[in-house]
Amino acid sequence: MMQIVATGLRATIQDRGRFGHLREGVPPSGPADPYAFAAAQALVGNDPGAAAIEIVGGAFTFHCESPRIVTVTGRDVALRGRDLVPGWTAAFARSGEVFTVVGGERSRFAYLAVSGGIATEPILGSRSAFLPAGIGRPLRAGEALPLGNARVDAERAGLSAPSPDYDTGQIRAITGPHAQRFTDEAETLFFRSDFLVEPASDRMGTRLSGPRIGAREGEILTCGVVAGAVQIPSGGAPIVLLAEHQATGGYPVIATVISADLGLVAQRLPGERLRFARVDRGLAIAALRDARAALEVIA
Amino acid sequence: MARARALADAWDARGEGSAVPAYASVVVRFDPLRLAPADAETTVLRLAKTLDHVASESGREIEIPTYYDGPDLVETAERSGVSVELLIALHSGRVYRAFFLGFLPGFAYCGVLDPAIVAPRLLRPRERVPAGSVAVADGQTSVYPFDSPGGWRLIGRTDVRVFDSRRDSPALIRPGDRVRFVAR
Repeated sequence: MMQIVATGLRATIQDRGRFGHLREGVPPSGPADPYAFAAAQALVGNDPGAAAIEIVGGAFTFHCESPRIVTVTGRDVALRGRDLVPGWTAAFARSGEVFTVVGGERSRFAYLAVSGGIATEPILGSRSAFLPAGIGRPLRAGEALPLGNARVDAERAGLSAPSPDYDTGQIRAITGPHAQRFTDEAETLFFRSDFLVEPASDRMGTRLSGPRIGAREGEILTCGVVAGAVQIPSGGAPIVLLAEHQATGGYPVIATVISADLGLVAQRLPGERLRFARVDRGLAIAALRDARAALEVIA
Repeated sequence: MARARALADAWDARGEGSAVPAYASVVVRFDPLRLAPADAETTVLRLAKTLDHVASESGREIEIPTYYDGPDLVETAERSGVSVELLIALHSGRVYRAFFLGFLPGFAYCGVLDPAIVAPRLLRPRERVPAGSVAVADGQTSVYPFDSPGGWRLIGRTDVRVFDSRRDSPALIRPGDRVRFVAR
């Protein structure tokens, strides 16, 4: 069991996501920053399908009743036990040893993984919380979460994974499925401009403001969407869809952020800027391959 | 639309990832490191060819008992130039097809409405629409599964739970079903 002492602003259980019920309108959910999540699981030696805890607004404090390997990943995060363990580094947690996830000023989504994984009962094939539909709920101080069985591999302590450069505002994106709905001028403006992250951004999407990106007249037929899709609603302010995106969308999609860079978008803070750099599909796949290879080394 | 669903079923059966059909499109998911995008494209085109003759499906028939007392009922009738009674008769007098689900878990886009009562979305979406609200917009109708923001016109409400994650089949209305609203 993992005993929760304090939760921070909001903490939920997330696994890779719930992809089996999209057709019933159930958003995939899962981690807002998939790479940080995958790195946390790899560092503690978990299967990629295991569940971890996504924390917004640290300080999340916990202890485990049996020895475990623990880690925290994300932007500007660390784990405080007897010593301070940097983010993206595995640590050995003795029975009852108290740890606190600490976030710095630029922290947004932190991922706490424990060897064995969080072993709550899956709902609709996934342990990911989706709060708007009452699937799962925010974690509460004082509750205990079941953990899966795991051999404690103490040699993992000190192992680290490479953190992406979260401070870069450069986000790579491929041409979107509705590119023909935009003039060349609008597309050029989109790929050459700085956008500001709005406070209304959340797990559903990162909302941007900047130059108005106008689409051609007419509506598009509602169609399925994916995380990373950059929608342009009628007001012309882009929204980058994230983990909790709706299964379908009715706004034209000008570009799609590559999988490897999703976390860079999710972790941008309100008031920070970002800019899209156009890449081709081959580069998008190569970047995903590199990201996975970096984690396979430690898994 | 039946064809989009059939293509999505065929993709799902391959186990590469899940597909999401809509009016005239299918989004197919797959891992590009396990299946090259070009191969995925070839596969989808081949599957689509085998689906040239999809039998029009019957779907199940779902009844939604409805109390027609929504906050937008009177205004929606007025702007259509019909009486409230006629709007209720026209809305409950049709069997709708559930096209697909989206927006929220269990939110089924059903249509199409009688042209006499077609009305656009509200200019200012509500911040909170109560769960169970029966709503119309742009020729379609649906039931809000949860309290949520929403821009459709609320003409009634139902006690039926259209989504329950504890049910084996959590969504009451599934794509392809026939849906009828019954005035209470």
